[in-house]
Amino acid sequence: MKRTITMNLSGIVFHIEEDAYEKLNQYLQTIKSYFKDAEGCDEIMNDIESRIAEMLQGKVSNTKQAVIMADVQNVISVMGSPEEFAGDNASGKDSAEKQRNNNSSSYAHTGRRRIFRDPDNRIIGGVCSCIANYFDFDPIWLRAAFAISFFAFGTGFLLYFVLLIIIPKATTTAEKLEMRGEKVDVNNIGKAVNEEFQEFKKKMNDLGKEMQSPENKERIRSTAQKTGDFIKELLYRFFKIVGKAAAFILIFLGIVLTVALLATLFGRGTISVFDTPGNNIRFSLYELSAAILPADLPVQLLVTGLILFIGIPLLSMIYGGIRFLFGIKQKNRIVKYSANLLWLLGLGILVYVGIQLGSDFSEQASNRQTISVIQPKGNTLYLDLNVAPKNDEEVSYRHRHKIHFGGWTVVSKDENKFLLGYPTLDIIQSTSDNFELVAIKTANGFDKKEAAYRAKNIDYIITQTDSLIEFNSFFDISATDKLRAQDVRLLLKVPAGKSIFLSKRMEDIIFDIDNVNDALDSDMVNRKWMMTKRGLECVDCDGLENAGIPLPPAPPAKPE
Amino acid sequence: MNIENTKAQMKKGILEFCILSILSHEDHYPSEIISKMKDAKLLVVEGTLYPLLMRLKNDGLLSYRWEESTSGPPRKYYKLTPPGEQFLKELETTWTELVDAVNRTTQKKLS
Repeated sequence: MKRTITMNLSGIVFHIEEDAYEKLNQYLQTIKSYFKDAEGCDEIMNDIESRIAEMLQGKVSNTKQAVIMADVQNVISVMGSPEEFAGDNASGKDSAEKQRNNNSSSYAHTGRRRIFRDPDNRIIGGVCSCIANYFDFDPIWLRAAFAISFFAFGTGFLLYFVLLIIIPKATTTAEKLEMRGEKVDVNNIGKAVNEEFQEFKKKMNDLGKEMQSPENKERIRSTAQKTGDFIKELLYRFFKIVGKAAAFILIFLGIVLTVALLATLFGRGTISVFDTPGNNIRFSLYELSAAILPADLPVQLLVTGLILFIGIPLLSMIYGGIRFLFGIKQKNRIVKYSANLLWLLGLGILVYVGIQLGSDFSEQASNRQTISVIQPKGNTLYLDLNVAPKNDEEVSYRHRHKIHFGGWTVVSKDENKFLLGYPTLDIIQSTSDNFELVAIKTANGFDKKEAAYRAKNIDYIITQTDSLIEFNSFFDISATDKLRAQDVRLLLKVPAGKSIFLSKRMEDIIFDIDNVNDALDSDMVNRKWMMTKRGLECVDCDGLENAGIPLPPAPPAKPE
Repeated sequence: MNIENTKAQMKKGILEFCILSILSHEDHYPSEIISKMKDAKLLVVEGTLYPLLMRLKNDGLLSYRWEESTSGPPRKYYKLTPPGEQFLKELETTWTELVDAVNRTTQKKLS
């Protein structure tokens, strides 16, 4: 006992056994896949189907109602197996094309070779052997090249994978024949181009003659139409050639960008940031994201998101390019849908990471801390910047890992700490008789508590020897705290009647200090300033006028 | 040189010629054409005929009309068009010339 399926073939209903149906369906599909490029494919299929229906009808009767396997096999043997079909038609198609060429209405190149993966000659998927076959060389070189490129950030693997998906497998004999079609080499390509050019020239000549000959004047209308057709065809060919070139560029660009993406994601020190002109700082994405991403978000998640979000369009570029270049028509829906899905997944991951990261910056808190200052014996406090992590050998190595982030400068100190710079210093009048130094540390976090905790965790040191205070140009934050807009503002309170001296290096950290002389920060360094009732006033400011800033209370520039 | 290919090429033109001559006497639908050609052992498998008919039709040598059938799907009756008749005439002359020429050359070889 077997189950039957109801089948409609050319409008006639048959009951057909399942296995027989499978066989027939497969047979028809094979024929169809062969004729898919021929003109009137549907019509041929309809004719064949109705002939099969006719034959099958002779095989069923009231007593034998179902179509069985033997019937289908019989029909197939009468119609011819796809192989016989293919063999006959391959040459048929060939001559048909030649014929059309003679009519000069076709641009088709005879016996054009098409690219197919050869299931009979393969190591993994037959990709190398099919490309080698297409261009006629020994696949071993390509295999070796792929094997080597597997180690170059896995690019070879990706490319192989893409090719495996795009290039269809030769399943029917016809496809295997096409796979071994006419050679594709420089000569042949040249020939094809030349043929097209000759045809083009001929058309131009024909057109010219037709325009010139007086007896054809009445045919002007048809000529106009022909001109239209000709322009259409010209445009078609032009776009075809441009398209091929574009496809090649697309593939090339796609591969280059994919390599660049992978190198950026997995390489070390591949992201460059220009610190100062001519001095760019390199760091890897891992270092950067380890410093920023919330602790519960693994870096791998971000990397996956980036790969999907940027990589999928790049692979699609290569995919589309190769398809166009080799004229592959088969569509792979699963690939299309899964690519779209993966891209959306990548987008989703990036959005998620973005939201998580953003919410980690949502609250700000600050922490105010008084740093004790030993009162100087004289009346002047000398302020200098501790440049340690800038000039000595060890740090100049680390300096390579320094980046600017908006207003911040980050120097990765070691795995546990970051150095963040620069703090800013403001100088105001003290309410008491003493020098006072206050550090206001701010940080962001998911909530106030977290932000406050981070702010408190910022480590900032000054060193004082007698009347010299050395400010560190960086403050330390623990790596586990991540970069969360940590900032340190220093407030030096100077009592009235006492002075400070700003060293040249202080220029890096002083920020918009109010002073009587209205001097810019860059003009304030290397000078001594005294706190008066009016504010901070320059003591040794002869020549400050050179900066072009008039002193409001003082007389205009001294005559020389 | 592939012998199968050469054979197929030789047969190719002749097949078209035969189809056109079959249709020159009377309109036929594919099954009839097939049986005639099978009788003459010109055709091995039926499938070959359909693409051929399609091409001859596309080239304007044949036309067809639908006719209901009592036993099965409607049938396409193929018919020669005036250009088809012209084409056939030319083929006939070419054929006689060819047979003559081939006979002469092959017999020369024999003698």
